[in-house]
Formats: sequence, C-alpha cells, structure tokens
Amino acid sequence: MKMKRRSFLKACGVMTGYAVLSVNIASEAFAAAMSFVASRQKSVYAADANPKIYKFRKSQNNPMITKIYNKDGGFLHDGPCGHKSHELLHTEYIDRSAKLSALKAKGYKLNF
Amino acid sequence: MRLIEGVMYRNYAPKDGTDPDRITFVQVDADKCQACGACEEVCATGAIQSINDDEIHQVVDPVACMNCGQCLTNCPYGAIYEGVSFVDELFEKLKDPDTIVVSMPAPSVRYGLGECFGAATGTYVGGKMHAALRKLGFNYIWDTEFAADVTIMEEGTELIDRVKEQGEKDARPLPQFTSCCPGWIKFAETFYPDLMPNLSSCKSPIGMLGPLAKTYGAKETDTNPKKIYTVSIMPCIAKKYEGIRPELTDSGFSDIDATINTRELAYMIKKAGIDFNNLPDQDPDPVLGESTGAATIFGNSGGVMEAALRLAYEVLSGEKLNDPNIKVVRTHEGIKTADINVPNFGVVKVAIASGLKNAAKICDEVRAGKSPYHFIEIMTCPGGCVNGGGQPLDPEIQASLFRSTVAQINRRFRARKIKA
Ligand code: SF4
Ligand code: SF4
Repeated sequence: MKMKRRSFLKACGVMTGYAVLSVNIASEAFAAAMSFVASRQKSVYAADANPKIYKFRKSQNNPMITKIYNKDGGFLHDGPCGHKSHELLHTEYIDRSAKLSALKAKGYKLNF
Repeated sequence: MRLIEGVMYRNYAPKDGTDPDRITFVQVDADKCQACGACEEVCATGAIQSINDDEIHQVVDPVACMNCGQCLTNCPYGAIYEGVSFVDELFEKLKDPDTIVVSMPAPSVRYGLGECFGAATGTYVGGKMHAALRKLGFNYIWDTEFAADVTIMEEGTELIDRVKEQGEKDARPLPQFTSCCPGWIKFAETFYPDLMPNLSSCKSPIGMLGPLAKTYGAKETDTNPKKIYTVSIMPCIAKKYEGIRPELTDSGFSDIDATINTRELAYMIKKAGIDFNNLPDQDPDPVLGESTGAATIFGNSGGVMEAALRLAYEVLSGEKLNDPNIKVVRTHEGIKTADINVPNFGVVKVAIASGLKNAAKICDEVRAGKSPYHFIEIMTCPGGCVNGGGQPLDPEIQASLFRSTVAQINRRFRARKIKA
C-alpha cells in the first residue's frame, strides 16, 4: 500500500514535468515508438543497397567466402556442410524442458 | 552496479564452466519497481511476474527467462538491470600486451551505436565503429558480418540438402528453423524441445566466428590461439547466455571469451576518451572481416530469410538472381508468409515470425503437423536485432510509457480510495 501511494506521488511529479515540457504528446508518442524500430530497419536496407558500403549483396559473392571455401586448399575446402564445417560451425541442442517442469511443479504459472 | 547508457549493470563476468541457466542476466531492482506491470505485458514467457501484494515484479527464475531484455527496454522507470557485464575484464585484457584481443561486432551494433553519441535513430556508423575498436586497442578488427555470410553458405546449403532428402530414410524434417537468435533457441529448447530436429544445426554467426577466429584466424595471422581473447559485441542480452554455453568449445578453447552489448561498447568508447564523432571511417581487417549486404540485413526481421534466399534461388535454379531485393519477406512485426517462385525448381514456402508470442503460434502449427513451410525465420525481438535488448534505449518509449503508466496508476489509486 505504502509503495503504491509513493509511486502515485512520484508519478504525479514527473507528469507535471512532462506537461510543462510539451503539449499534445500523447497522440504522437505511440507513432514515435513504432517509427523508432522502422528507422533502424530502413537504414539497414539502405546500407545493403549502397555499393559504397557493401560492394556485394550476396554472401556467395564475398571474395573472402570464395577464399575460405576454395576447393584447392581453402580452410573449408570440403564445402558448406562439409566435414570441417560440421566440426566447427554446427552444433546440437539441449532439451531444457525438465527444468521448466520442475519450475512449474513449484507452482509458478507461465504462458506456455 | 554502475549506470551505462541509462541502464544499471552488475559488474559480474561469469567464469568458464558456469551453468548459464543459473545466472540472472536480467532482473528487477525491487526498490525501483513501481508496480506498473509494463514488463509483464511485453514478456512472452511470463517469466517476469508480481511477487507480492504491492505488485513488485521479479524475474521469478532464470529457467523461464529467455534473456531477451524486452522487459528492460520497456520499463518506464528504468527499474530493470543487467546481471552480467564483461566490461572490466575486457578493459584489463585490452591493457595486457600478452593477450590478442579480437573484435566481433554484430550487424545491428552499427545501426544503434551512433545514437549514444547524438546521431539520429538508425544512423549507420560501421566505419567509425571499426575505427573506435582499433583505438580501444583491439588487435584484430574482425566482424560478425563475415560469419553471417558463412552462416548463409552453411544454412542455405543445409536447407537445400533437407529439401532434397525428403522421402529418403532418416531425412531431416522440414520446415527448417533459423538458429541465429539465442532467445529463440533457448525458447525452443525449453518450451518446444520436440521441435529441436527442425532447428538448423548451424551455430549462429557469432557461434561460428569464435571458433573460426581461434583456428583459421590464428593460422592466417600466425597467432598462438591460446593468446586470443574473442569479444562478441551484440545488440542483445541473450547473446551473453549463448557466449558461455559450455558446448561452444570446438576450437579447442572457449570459442567466445566475452560478450558485451551496444550500450557497453558506447560506454567503453566514452570512458577511453575517444572522440567518436570525429573518427575517420575505417574498414575491418579483411580475412574475417569483409562482408556483404546479405550479412548486414541479418539485423532485421526477415533479413536472414532474404539473405538465404539470395543464395538458395541461385543454387536451386542455376540462374542469376538479378534483383537481390526480396521485399516480400521484410517484416516489421507479427508473422509474414510468402511463396517464392524458383525457376527450374518450384515454390519455396517461407514464414517469418517476429517476437516469441508469434513464434509459439508457428511452433504449435509445426507440432500439429500442419505447417506448409520449408523455411521459417524466428527473431525474439519485435523487428529483429536492431530492436534488441542491448541496443540504446528508445527515448520515446520511456516517455510515452511513462505517461500511460501514470494514467494507469492514477486509476488504480482512485479505485482503491473508493473501495476504502
Ligand atoms: S515495468 Fe518496471 S516498474 Fe513496471 S512492474 Fe516492471 S519492473 Fe516494475
Ligand atoms: S528478458 Fe525477456 S524473457 Fe526474460 S523476463 Fe524479460 S522479457 Fe521476459
């Protein structure tokens, strides 16, 4: 109870601050939050399409990829999903569901 | 504890061999929590809940938490802190002349880092980032984007192989799920372990660059791999979990020695007194640094899919893909599906899910045997890594959520008064 009253008072203080700083913020806020992710995404696609930043747009055209997979003496010369790849670049997964069941058995409710 | 770009961090670098399932990467400071419930709303799994009558929230157990940090970036009161930070250890390693420190920044870092230095949201600062890493004292400026290109080669080939082997005995199942996102991987292992055979066996790009650095990179640069200290630099908190997975030791050493996120990199650059905005643009060191547009789009939801299709299309059809823009798979939120017509092959059916609530819908469909797709991309953070839990905070989210929160608290407070 005490905590909630305190937060109420604190929130009111901040609210006053916002009211002084700017008007008409409520409607703009949601749009702004959505456009935040969108502006980063847009910038990513712009860099992808900008030959000054990326000379090539397909992984298979990267000269260093050609080099590492080169059939004659490349580090991964047996190709993608080859022997060396499996050793270094592939993995296996671990069933963690028992830990989840143990948690649920303690009485915790989760979404799945 | 210390404040880094608006977020509190505990100075704690877990030692090799620590069980990542027992570490809280994200937790609520009970003294700062104002019981608004915003975190609970954005958490897919329900790991963050109110724990007492005052509705103070906590991450109830690390087992249920996917370490995505969406609660943290959405808490209007800055009440949620990070439990793991390698910053101090990394500063030590950078000073040690006997340690060869290798940088491995993810694609999205270069679209967020600039914001900490006053740039507009999303500004690309890749060149300055590389220059800053050199200035900080990293010995090799290698880049996770190169490994993203490797990932496409491996994961695209795996998909093509899986499609071809259907009908054969011991065929691996379709659809194939992407495996780049550590929050999603832990989610599948915890909630949908029966779908593990559908996960691509490919490590994530950082999971590939670590062992490549200590084998291939060591060879190319004539470095003793024992001396190499690999630093994963991520837009993400869940990557800290991935970095200490005990099985990632295929180089013969710990593949990933430290993981920091975009906010921590900004902090280190500021702490070192580097004038970021006036740095020249620099390239990474080529061997494990050069990358393509396909690699950089890994940061967006739909990006891994588009990059993989740029390869699969050419391999399956035997023809050149003239326009690399495959816009139908680009996703901002929710679930997107598409049929890609590949000449000389047929239709490739794909789906992209952004956020774990959407992932669960797709998983249920696969579990029921009703999924028509060949390839499914899943990202834990809505919009993809560019919106990751380790990126600079959205100044508007704090402000706007704050306002709706105030309204909510007002309501609750009034309701209680009436009752009393
Ligand atoms: S969002 Fe922050 S203040 Fe609100 S309940 Fe969660 S931790 Fe507490
Ligand atoms: S980090 Fe992600 S999974 Fe963990 S409590 Fe926060 S929102 Fe939920």
